[in-house]
Amino acid sequence: METTIEVAGLRKRYGPTLALDGMTFTVTPGRVTGFVGPNGAGKSTTMRVVLGLDAADEGTALVGGRPYRSLRDPLRHVGALLDAGALQPSRTGRHHLLWLAHSQGLGARRVDEVIDLVGLGSAARRRAGGYSLGMRQRLGIAAALLGDPPMLMLDEPFNGLDPEGMVWIRGLLGSLAAEGRAVLVSSHLMSELEDTAGHVVVVGRGRVVADAAVADLIAGASRGRVTLRTSDRAAATAVLAGAGAAVTVSGRDTVTVSGVPAERVVGLLTAGGVPFSEVAAHRATLEEAYMELTRDAVEFRAATGGAAR
Amino acid sequence: MRREVRAEWTKLRTEPGAVRLLPALVVLTVAASVAVCASVTCPAAGCGHDAVRLALGGVQVGQAVAAVLAVLVVGGEYGTGMIRTTLTAMPRRGAVLAAKAAVLTGVTLPAAVLAVLGSLLAGRLVLPGRGFTAAHGHPPLSLADGPTLRAVAGSVLYLVLVALLSLGIAFAVRDSAAAIGVVLGLLYASAVLPLMVGDPDWQLALWRLSPSNAGLAVQATTGLDGLPLSPWAGLGVLAAWAVAALTGGGLLLRARDA
Repeated sequence: METTIEVAGLRKRYGPTLALDGMTFTVTPGRVTGFVGPNGAGKSTTMRVVLGLDAADEGTALVGGRPYRSLRDPLRHVGALLDAGALQPSRTGRHHLLWLAHSQGLGARRVDEVIDLVGLGSAARRRAGGYSLGMRQRLGIAAALLGDPPMLMLDEPFNGLDPEGMVWIRGLLGSLAAEGRAVLVSSHLMSELEDTAGHVVVVGRGRVVADAAVADLIAGASRGRVTLRTSDRAAATAVLAGAGAAVTVSGRDTVTVSGVPAERVVGLLTAGGVPFSEVAAHRATLEEAYMELTRDAVEFRAATGGAAR
Repeated sequence: MRREVRAEWTKLRTEPGAVRLLPALVVLTVAASVAVCASVTCPAAGCGHDAVRLALGGVQVGQAVAAVLAVLVVGGEYGTGMIRTTLTAMPRRGAVLAAKAAVLTGVTLPAAVLAVLGSLLAGRLVLPGRGFTAAHGHPPLSLADGPTLRAVAGSVLYLVLVALLSLGIAFAVRDSAAAIGVVLGLLYASAVLPLMVGDPDWQLALWRLSPSNAGLAVQATTGLDGLPLSPWAGLGVLAAWAVAALTGGGLLLRARDA
């Protein structure tokens, strides 16, 4: 309870847009929980409600069993990165961290510690307005770590990072979770989380679509599918489609078949004289599992013009 | 509340734009006072001028700087989105407003003291050359004179109250440009509004409601009987505006999504 982020039945309407529609999930300590969904699915809104910035119309959001706004020195409980660009450009990065530290009863020593931790180095003494997006992300992560909090909530921390930065943050998130912290990381790209998150909460249209371990999600999306390697894709597709299978192209000489078991695929291809070199149970990527889960939400957004918030 | 004040103080002193406005407040106020004093003459006894009010005339320019400083303290955060970082770190919104008001008062007060004393000194040096001599009924300006001291202290408070009024409006409006427009409109447009109305009763009522006309009554040292409001009552009108703006801004800050 002490380090759990709990969201229950959140509903939030901005004018005509229903941003949250019964959002419910729990972030438990000791693992990285991915928070994924298309843009406009309600990820940022949920985080703002948890942080007490926006008030939900219905539902509750608790951090460590308490509403965020009741916390004294909240940054010692929850570290958050919402928008790395949300700082005054004429102040130096170090001074930005310094006022935040002072607001929590912390001193300049802790500021220098987190500057070292995120590798901001000498840039910390330059105006933050001149930072690249990647440096701003590092500054934002430094701010989130300032109070050494047991809970962390990072909104799209991968945005603007170079490959080296991506590797760094994946390692950082992993070690923060290994230290027993609850870590919630949002992204609109599942692939960014594939190697980082052990658990994902997939959202669409303001509510949870799936809340599962990454391994289960992949197993679910793989079920009943067959990967076929063939030099004659067109013929294979014709034969299999004729038998009622759904065929999608997945590579230069591979297709994914569903609706027909592997044995039957082999039989059909042999009978039809179609050459093939491999028939195997399909192993879905997290990305595929995600696309399947959020397809409805994406279609909805395309139909309505997708008011994102 | 102590942490909020400390954080807001650190913010203000590490924002070069805000820091530069403080000397600007002093310099512009004194310079405008010099210009006012240099543009009038008192050719003979009974010229009817209020020498103290002339010497403190620069306050009418200085108030714009105080207003801009106060608006930027809030509007600068809304413009960049940093307000969300502020309210995440300090979720007690009333305390954030109070801390900003305290820090703003803390920096505006010494700047206002320098600006107003500098203006009085400028008047003391410039006015005698313009005919404001003891022979014409104008002894040198001095803080030992009761009404002069009241005008000086009142002018300092006037500048601080303008800053607080602007802070409240900025929290309500949440945009620097719009807030500066509202504040300057309130200070300058309301000052000339009574002149554009024919009806004397309305003229009087508008004068009494105008934060700048009423507030600057505190600078008057002659013809007090002819003023629509006594000096301190006039400053009270401005104080009421400031309290209303801070209360309104605070209520909106608490009620609205950040």
